[in-house]
Amino acid sequence: MILYAFVLIPIIAGAVIYLIPKKQMRWVAFALQIGLVVLSIYNFALIRLYGPSEIVLGNFAKIAGITLRCDTLSGALIILTAFIFLICFIFGLMDKFVNNLFIFFFLTLQALVMTIFLSRDLFNIYVVTEVSTIIVSVLIMFKKDSRSMYDGMLYLITNIAAMTFFLIGLGFIYKIFGSLDMNIIGARMHEIQDAKVLAVPFAFLMTGVSLKCAFLPLFSWLPKAHATPSAPSVVSVILSGLYVKCGIYLFIRIREMFMPALEMDNIFLIIGILTGVVGFILAMSQKDIKMILAYHTISQLGIVLIGITAGGEYAYYGGVLHLFNHAVFKSLLFLSAGIIISKYGTRDISKIRGVFKKMPYVSIMTFAAILGITGAPLFNGSISKYFIQSGVKGGIVEYALILINLGTIISFIKFSTMFFGGSVKDRIHVAFGKKAAVTIMAIMCLLMGMGGTLVIRSVFNYSVSINMIEYIKKTAVYFASLAGGYLVYMKYLKKMKFIKEGLEMELSVNGIAISMTAFFIFIAGAAYFIAI
Amino acid sequence: MIRLASLLLILIGLYGIFSSRNVIKILIGVNVMELGVNIFIISVGFFKGGIAPILTADSFSSAMKFVDPLAQAMVLTSIVIGLGITALGLVFARKIHAQYDTYDLGAIGGGKDD
Repeated sequence: MILYAFVLIPIIAGAVIYLIPKKQMRWVAFALQIGLVVLSIYNFALIRLYGPSEIVLGNFAKIAGITLRCDTLSGALIILTAFIFLICFIFGLMDKFVNNLFIFFFLTLQALVMTIFLSRDLFNIYVVTEVSTIIVSVLIMFKKDSRSMYDGMLYLITNIAAMTFFLIGLGFIYKIFGSLDMNIIGARMHEIQDAKVLAVPFAFLMTGVSLKCAFLPLFSWLPKAHATPSAPSVVSVILSGLYVKCGIYLFIRIREMFMPALEMDNIFLIIGILTGVVGFILAMSQKDIKMILAYHTISQLGIVLIGITAGGEYAYYGGVLHLFNHAVFKSLLFLSAGIIISKYGTRDISKIRGVFKKMPYVSIMTFAAILGITGAPLFNGSISKYFIQSGVKGGIVEYALILINLGTIISFIKFSTMFFGGSVKDRIHVAFGKKAAVTIMAIMCLLMGMGGTLVIRSVFNYSVSINMIEYIKKTAVYFASLAGGYLVYMKYLKKMKFIKEGLEMELSVNGIAISMTAFFIFIAGAAYFIAI
Repeated sequence: MIRLASLLLILIGLYGIFSSRNVIKILIGVNVMELGVNIFIISVGFFKGGIAPILTADSFSSAMKFVDPLAQAMVLTSIVIGLGITALGLVFARKIHAQYDTYDLGAIGGGKDD
C-alpha cells in the first residue's frame, strides 16, 4: 500500500493546494515533503527486512496487470527523490515565483518521478515519462522569458521524438514476448534462440533512453533545458540532480532486462568515456555559471555510465553510488549558483568576483560540493570514483577516468575564480532557508563520503571495502591532478581561444533528430553483429 | 503490408522533423510519426481472420478469434498522450509567434538575449 502513497499523495496534495488559493498552503506542501521523506525511509526499512514489495494494479494476474515493484535500488532512489524535493522546498519556499500553480506542477513531477522509479511495466513507463516531459517543459518556461521559449520547445520536441522511438521498441518487445512487464520479459529472455531479433527493439529502446540520459551525440538539449536563464534554480536542481537520473535508472533496468540475450557493455563503455571527455571540454569553455554546471552533468553521467558498463561488481556499485553522489553535489552547486546569480544579477563567470568575501558561509558550503565533484578525499565523489577505478584497474579505462577527473578539476578551478578577488567588504544577506538548504546538502556531501560503503551495503546488500593503501594512492593522484590542473590552466588554457570565447556545439531540433536516428542505426547495427 | 505502411509513415514523420525549422511543421512531423507507431502497434496485435474484441452474443462462441485488445488499449492511450502533447506544443508555438512574429525555430534560437 505504501507504494500507492508515493504515486498518489503528491498528485492529490498538489491538486488540493492548487484549488485552495491561499498562500499558507505552501506550508502544507512543506509538511507533506517531510512526511514523504519519513515514509520513504520507512519503506526502505521494510524492503530491507522483508524483501521487495510488489503491487499489481487492479489485482489482475501478474502477466496482465501493471506492476509496481520496489526493490532496494528503487527504494533508495525514492528516498533520494523525497529528500531532494524537501531541500528544494526549504530553499525556495519563500521565493516570489512560488505560487500554488508552481507547487502543483512541482508535486506532480515528484509523483511522476517516483512512479518511474517504481514501475515495472514498459508502457506505464512510457506514459509517465511523456507526462513528466510535459510538466518539465512547462517548468522550464515557467517565467515565460523569451529565451526560455526556445529551450522549452527544443526540450519538448526532442524528448517526444525520443519517447516515440521508445514506443516503437515497446511494440516490438510486445510482439516478441507478449508481455510488457520487465521482470517477466527478463525471465523469458534466455528462451530467445536467435538474439538477432532483439537488435532492433533493443536499439529503439536504448535510443529513447540514451537521449533521456544525454549520452554523447544526444546531449544538446540538456544544457539548454537545465541551465535556461529563466528557470528558477530549484527547477534546475530537480532537472539536473534528479530527473536525469530517471534516464540512467531506465538504462540500468533495460540493460539488466536484455542481459541474458544481448550484452553491449563494451559499446556503451566507449560512449561513456566519450561523453565524459566531451562533457568537461565543453564545460571548460562556458562562461555562464549554470551552463558550466549543466555540461558537468553530462560529464558526470558519462562517469556513471562507465561505472555501470565497465564490468565487475565494484565498478557497477561505484557507478550507482556515483549516481546518488552526483544528485547531492550537483543539487548543492545549482542551489548556490542560484543564490549567487540572484545576488549579483549576472551569470557571466568573468564578471562575478569576491563571492567569498561577500557570502563566506555559502562559499564554504559550495566548496564542499566542489570537493565532492572533483573527488577530493573524504568527500562523496572520491568514494564512488574510487570504486569505479578499482573495478577497471589497469588498462585504458582507468586513464580515461583520471583524464575526466583532471578535466573536471581544471574546469572547477575556472569556476572557483569567482570566489576570490574583490575587496568590497559589504556582506550580502542570505535568507535563512537558503542557508539551511545548502548546509544540509554540504553535510550530506561529507556524510556520503564517510559512509559510501554503508550506502552500497544497504542498497545492494554487498560488502565493499576500501583498501587504504589504494585510497591513499588515489589521494596522491588527486593532489597531483589538482596541482597539474592549476598549472595547466594558469599557464596555457587561460589564454586559449576556446576558453575565452566559448565553444559552441549546439544542435538544432533537426540536428538532434538526425543524430538520434544515426545513433539508432549505429546501436542496431552493432547489436546485430554482436548477436551473431 | 500494413507494417510497411506504418514504417513509411514513421519515416515521413522523421523526415519532417529532420528537414523543417517551422514549429508547426515539426509538430505535424511528430504527429505523423506517432500515427505510424500507432498503426504498427495495432498490427502487432492483429492476425488474419481476427475479429474485434467486443463481447456480443454473436461473438461469444468465437472469442478465440479476437485480436489482441491490449495493443488497441495501448494505442488509445498513446493517441490521448499525443493529443496532449500536440496541444501543448501548439500553445508554445502560439506563444513564440506572439513574441517573435515567426514560427521559425532557427530564427529565435540564434539570438542570445541574456
